[in-house]
Amino acid sequence: MPRPRVAIFDFAGCEGCQLQIVNLEEALLDLLRVVDVVEWREAMSEQSDVFDIAVVEGAITRLEDEERLKRIRQKAPVLVALGSCASSGGLNKLKNRMAMSEARRLVYGRDGGVSRLDTAPVKAVSEVVKVDYLVRGCPIDRREFSYVVRCLALGREPFIPGYPVCVECRIRENACRWQEGEICLGPLTRAGCGAACPAQGAACLGCRGTCDDANLEGMASVLAQYGKSREELESRLAVFLDPDGKGVSHA
Amino acid sequence: MEGTLDSPARTSGGGDIYLPRPATLLSVSAMTASDAFFELALDGPEDLGHLPGQFVEVSVPGMGEAPISVCSSPTRKGSFQMLVRRIGSVTQALHRKSPGDKVGIRGPFGTSFPMEGELKGKNLLFVAGGIGLAPLRSAIQYALDRRGDFGRIAILAGTRSAAERLFTGELLEWKRRNDLTLLETVDQPSPGWAGQVGLITGLFGMLRLEPGPWAALVCGPPVMYRFVLRELRRLQVPSREVHVSLERRMKCGVGKCGHCQINGLYVCQQGPVFRAGDLFDLKEAL
Amino acid sequence: MTVKQMDPASLNGWVDGLLLNRTVIGPVQKGDKFVFESLSRASDLRLDYDTTLLPPKKFLLPSREILLTFRGDSHYASQAPPDPFVLLGVHPYDVAAIRQMDRVFSEKQVDTHYMARRGACTLVALDAQAVSPNNFAGCMGTATVREGWDLLFSRVGGAYLAEAATEKGESLLRSAGLLADAAPGQLEERDRLWESNRQAMRRHVLHCSPQDLPGLLSRNYDHPLWQERAERCFSCGACNVVCPTCYCFDVQDEVDWSLECGSRCRAWDGCLLRDFASVAGGHNFRRHSAERYRHRYYRKAKYLPEMTGEIACVGCGRCVDACVARTANPVEVYNTLLGD
Repeated sequence: MPRPRVAIFDFAGCEGCQLQIVNLEEALLDLLRVVDVVEWREAMSEQSDVFDIAVVEGAITRLEDEERLKRIRQKAPVLVALGSCASSGGLNKLKNRMAMSEARRLVYGRDGGVSRLDTAPVKAVSEVVKVDYLVRGCPIDRREFSYVVRCLALGREPFIPGYPVCVECRIRENACRWQEGEICLGPLTRAGCGAACPAQGAACLGCRGTCDDANLEGMASVLAQYGKSREELESRLAVFLDPDGKGVSHA
Repeated sequence: MEGTLDSPARTSGGGDIYLPRPATLLSVSAMTASDAFFELALDGPEDLGHLPGQFVEVSVPGMGEAPISVCSSPTRKGSFQMLVRRIGSVTQALHRKSPGDKVGIRGPFGTSFPMEGELKGKNLLFVAGGIGLAPLRSAIQYALDRRGDFGRIAILAGTRSAAERLFTGELLEWKRRNDLTLLETVDQPSPGWAGQVGLITGLFGMLRLEPGPWAALVCGPPVMYRFVLRELRRLQVPSREVHVSLERRMKCGVGKCGHCQINGLYVCQQGPVFRAGDLFDLKEAL
Repeated sequence: MTVKQMDPASLNGWVDGLLLNRTVIGPVQKGDKFVFESLSRASDLRLDYDTTLLPPKKFLLPSREILLTFRGDSHYASQAPPDPFVLLGVHPYDVAAIRQMDRVFSEKQVDTHYMARRGACTLVALDAQAVSPNNFAGCMGTATVREGWDLLFSRVGGAYLAEAATEKGESLLRSAGLLADAAPGQLEERDRLWESNRQAMRRHVLHCSPQDLPGLLSRNYDHPLWQERAERCFSCGACNVVCPTCYCFDVQDEVDWSLECGSRCRAWDGCLLRDFASVAGGHNFRRHSAERYRHRYYRKAKYLPEMTGEIACVGCGRCVDACVARTANPVEVYNTLLGD
């Protein structure tokens, strides 16, 4: 079986997820035996128009990016969204809470009016083109990425949990952040990270997006029981699960 | 302990119930756009030793296992057959296989249609919705191979469209036989299909059941059962004479993993073939 | 074998001795909670623990376990059996839960993976010295157990009493050297400890006998409680994960970078999780969280008891501790159904 050709593209984001791929270290060599990377701006100079799998990092923040993404999709039999920004728009969507002119002024000051700094409301990759697979997280989990690559090379569906982070958190015997007096989004957030943050004593911020059938309504009674306010919850949700303030999306 | 498929012994106290036996694909053929038909044989001298209605766990290393019912009759020795719908990773991988390729087999598992027991001597009414024809075919073949052991045979078969009809060659053969009645329907009219159009329940009105001891064998999609059972009640087939085969997520096949439970029953142990009368109190069943 | 006595210092010395040539697992502190962990020294032991975050099932049915490895399309190998280990300090309710798992994995088709671990395990029980805030083992008849262990320790005054029930337990205890017999007064004190634990482990009080639960559930399949309580449930499966009698599992294949070799693993699954009853093609036989919520209680207190004669809940209270939404208290559920 020939190695699938992979091209990695980046849009708006910190490139931290691509860095996670670089950080695979020895496993990166294994990965390169399984797939043929034909384009990857972060790590190599070659470019290619022919590939089997497009890996797209970052959110879509400009109209010309939408066009570029659509061109990539046309060439890509399989498209993988890499990381929170690509999967859901991520933190970038905080921009959507304000007028675009205000966002430009905030970032670029007086130069904000220059036409080449045009900006548009942030979209996730899936809001522009069809996405076949999501590797979620801010940043992505290296093991999960490796696993997904092997699954694609093998021609099978990866098993990505649909259940909440609490499953993995309980298995690791972490202290429950709610019981430690914090608001933790673990009960609403898709597992797969191994409850990495609670294991380090930090509450889940929801970077992997909502789990299947997330019970947001159920949070109301939990807030009351733990003496927390709706505002406190919303300020947490604003980071990843509801950055544009339009409601938690079930992506 | 290192070993190949044909040396499954593990620790003292018996073999590993999760270790597959090797089997070789003898033939692979596409049947519809999403269904393929496989003939296979266990490596080594043994027959599968299944009964009509039982299922096996088919293993493709790296992909996993999938529960698949055996669609051939144990009266036909030397090999067995499966119909596989491409629906998940394991079944997709199976569709990519060719004759000579290996798969792993665990089982057979579960209960069967009591062909050698209480069904003997009875009239048999088969009701097959879609891919439900696969497990029933095992029993149909059995009844035809032991034709003298059974009374009248009627088969009702329905699919969503003509393109999804299964075992069309055999359907034609059955249609031509004068010792059975075959009625077919498709849910939606389709070009080239001159037969009956409508849900499978519509076929019951065309059925003339001669008096006598009838038993029904039913398999189809989850939504089908309630409506078919209602028709069978109208035909006065007693619920203890109605044998239904149910699908659930039989992950381990050996009554441990918990996935296939219907209320208090494990489909992989007390099923997949149940007597309809035993299911009426189980609200998760039908 | 007669009951022996051991002072706490000798007990620690004995455990340190065991650690020289085998794995010993026991309760240790983690934050302000406790967990079972492989010990590096006896002084880490917290035999005064009230309960652990996870039950000791994680050493008999690991949360993720390789069942077999494979190479190519036709070479499979079973995972090698584990080395012997001592599981020390198991409270009676957890011993009762292990006995239930023993039955599941040994009856009909024997699960050699579980049974190999179970056979490698010497089970050393310990009567509880502290009671966790949600424990109701006293209501379930599991505050004390007279079988299921190889060796039982009970803290009586300043000493530990040690009683062996099996050859495995006796041989383990023999390695402690010559021990004095327990005095009659100490045995009486142990009886009082048992009685006191039976009374104390009733932090929630079930208003019926456990034997009445299957019948109670038979009458309440359509009770509004299931929907009401499930509205707060996150389907997060925390109650499944921490439950000592939950053993359902999923099986997944993984390959290494060769794409040829890999392993088939089983991992804990939970009936509260959304896709637990989904089949290939997407149909979900328990689509709504209320159906899954109800299924858990029916499985514990009706379905399994109808098969085994035993309620599949030992009253450890871990589900009550672990439920963020505070909607997983079995005693509240049953008492509500009772109309109390």
